[in-house]
Amino acid sequence: MPSEPTSQAPSAMGALAGVKVLDFGWAIVGSLTGKFLADHGAEVIRVESASRPDMTRVDRRYSKSSQSSLDDKPWFAHFNTSKHSLSLDLKNPRSRELLDRLIAWADVVNENFTPGTLQRLGLDYDYMKTINPDIIFISGSLFGQTGPLAEEWGIDGTGAAISGRLNLTGWPDRVPVTPSSGIYGDYVVPLMNATAVVAALAHREKTGLGQYMEASMFEVTAQEITPAVLDWQSNGRLAGRTGNRVSNASPHGVFPCAGDDRWCAIAVFSDQDWNDFVAAIGGPDWAADSRFATFEARKANEDELERLVAEWTSPRDPHEVMAYLQERGVRAAAVQGPADIIDNDPQLRERGFLQTVEHSVLGPFGHQMPPFRLSATPAQLRPAPNMGEHNEYICTELLGMSDPEYIELLLEDVFR
Amino acid sequence: MNKGLLSGARALDLTDETGFICGKVLGELGIDVVKVERPGGDASRLIPPFHQDVPGVERSLYWKAFNTGKRGITLDIENPKGAEVFRELVSRVDFVIESFEPGYLQRIGLGYEALRAINPKIVIVSITPFGQKGPYSHYRSSELIAIAMSGVLNNTGDPDRPPVKESLDSGLFHAGVSGALGGVMAYYHSMIAGEGQQVDVSVQEVAASRLTSSILAWDLERVSLARDGHKSQMGPTSTDWFWACKDGHLFWHMLGGAFGAPANQALSDWMDEYLDENPLREVRDWMKFDKAGIAQEQWNRFASAIGPFFLRFTKDEIREQNLKRGTNATVANDPHDLLESEQLRGRGYWTHLDDPVLGDLKFPKYFFQSRDTENFSLTAAPQLGADNEEIYRNELGLTSEQIDELRNAHAI
Repeated sequence: MPSEPTSQAPSAMGALAGVKVLDFGWAIVGSLTGKFLADHGAEVIRVESASRPDMTRVDRRYSKSSQSSLDDKPWFAHFNTSKHSLSLDLKNPRSRELLDRLIAWADVVNENFTPGTLQRLGLDYDYMKTINPDIIFISGSLFGQTGPLAEEWGIDGTGAAISGRLNLTGWPDRVPVTPSSGIYGDYVVPLMNATAVVAALAHREKTGLGQYMEASMFEVTAQEITPAVLDWQSNGRLAGRTGNRVSNASPHGVFPCAGDDRWCAIAVFSDQDWNDFVAAIGGPDWAADSRFATFEARKANEDELERLVAEWTSPRDPHEVMAYLQERGVRAAAVQGPADIIDNDPQLRERGFLQTVEHSVLGPFGHQMPPFRLSATPAQLRPAPNMGEHNEYICTELLGMSDPEYIELLLEDVFR
Repeated sequence: MNKGLLSGARALDLTDETGFICGKVLGELGIDVVKVERPGGDASRLIPPFHQDVPGVERSLYWKAFNTGKRGITLDIENPKGAEVFRELVSRVDFVIESFEPGYLQRIGLGYEALRAINPKIVIVSITPFGQKGPYSHYRSSELIAIAMSGVLNNTGDPDRPPVKESLDSGLFHAGVSGALGGVMAYYHSMIAGEGQQVDVSVQEVAASRLTSSILAWDLERVSLARDGHKSQMGPTSTDWFWACKDGHLFWHMLGGAFGAPANQALSDWMDEYLDENPLREVRDWMKFDKAGIAQEQWNRFASAIGPFFLRFTKDEIREQNLKRGTNATVANDPHDLLESEQLRGRGYWTHLDDPVLGDLKFPKYFFQSRDTENFSLTAAPQLGADNEEIYRNELGLTSEQIDELRNAHAI
């Protein structure tokens, strides 16, 4: 059944129209934090430098990407939609007067350098507050801005390991795994950071007060395994890897289908679910066996149960299994690969999961939408900027510099 | 210190496990989040594990973990008298968070349009497996099903075995945080512009949003990235990310150039102290080492020495040597390690929440820190109907007779 039509017309302005963001964010966490704000109408100035470009501006995994350009990288394009770019040499003393004016201009500062970096540049929150007392400041990091590990660095795999998530992913008899594509903390943390920023904007709206905030991948993602942390405290049990099995469902797993490396997922929780499943697959004799009569029995004979389910799924197409079982009220899914989700998934297509954006160098291609939909103020994606694309606009129009002032900064080699 | 950033705002939380995290985040921002359960309690109160392994509606550690900082009432919103009370509550709050099957609230006369008529500024956050509309929106789902459809599952696991799910409910957790951002944005807009709206979150889409690298590989190059076990395909060569040690596992990943040089050198030096033959010595200058250009053969040679090397040490020794040498080897923590972590303890991450059934257990206190406001989980998850009296009598001003009437009608 389609959901009700809404009488509310979507607004042309985003939810964050009028919000000004000075964005020192880089790599994935910092870039996405700024992107979520920019796609919803905030004016976001990404401060970057061609002398130390973002790693996503030099990534050359794609055939359209060259070594000679910083502007032809699809990763950067995905993570930096709707932003302006200011290329600035932070080590050039003349860059400071420009930054000071931008700090005064901004409502929000976003950064995720290694803790201590902005302080060494003389650009930390305490300094910015002297220029703009009600500034909202968010720092992202792996371990947090304080504590014995504050200055340790790492990447998403580090986050998976420290959070306790890695230890719970994979097979009991194998080394744990993370998705080969589909890293986690790098995508969850920016949602949290942007939540903190928007909450601070609402708080400032009421109180007039700014805010200093910091989030770490360690602390945000460790929240996910809280049930296991309580299990250890309450029951003395250190949960381990269980493959696809969970303690309150059986069968609950991934089963082979027809085709090369094709799979489906089936999840059967309650006795009612079990009866529906058995009826759906035609009530085979084995399903009436006492080995599967109760949930406890199914759990005790799970190896055999999974083998029998696999016999049923093996000759079938994964999407056919899904449609057939779902029609009969059984939780089932095709295990979808990239071609499935991009070319053939009618659900993701209806949601507009990828939106075509015309990039000035790469041309038109599908860009990822922020992962939620606002009915009245939908996100709108504009192409990611080229390095320094908005230097002149920012100086002359936004900050109101005269042409000679701007040219002087150009000659001082501030924009690089 | 002031209370959370959004203290003063109020939310009704009608979610099952698909949406728990959204309300938890809002609660830590200082919002008064009231969990609304049907009389008898939500089915999600029976998700294992249980306190002392004894099942019961007040004993689910899963439920307790993700509903901290919320108050709780029971209310049957399908009951006409219950629906009346629900409408009254909606007129007084800023958010409704729900995870019902799309169309359900509309069927019982409590869809977005109906709620907006009561409260034009209301923000409704709807978190469902596939979203509010579309051909799969009525499919039955769970963590495993939504993740399978997202593309993430296909990318996780060893090549010689079926794809394997991530820890616990990673997809639902991610979707909850996504709903919190959408909700807070919509709340900010309603503050400024006076209009509410609906936030539509699909667990499938949220998980798929993580797949930038396989989306780009397929969309631009027609290359389908395969799951690669504990290895990572960042370039032509597949290199290991995760390793076994004496009593657990760890993450250590070789990176090229200036980024990876100090850690590569540190590990090589450490190996030199134990091994006569150390293949990492083949690299003379780590600053000039091009990770993208490493041949599979060379990597395999490195891995065949690194693997047994890490097996010599315990997790504690790996941690200690990392701090001393800067190897960047990171232990895969278990829950015990997390509770003992000096980093987390030093930052005050763990807090004791007193629960009448669980007693005194440690919970994470916050998602982020602030210098000027306390965005913390301050109370344990609510007992079933714990705040009925407070909310129905003291806040809505119902009389004892009215409350009895609701109770007799099985509305609360």
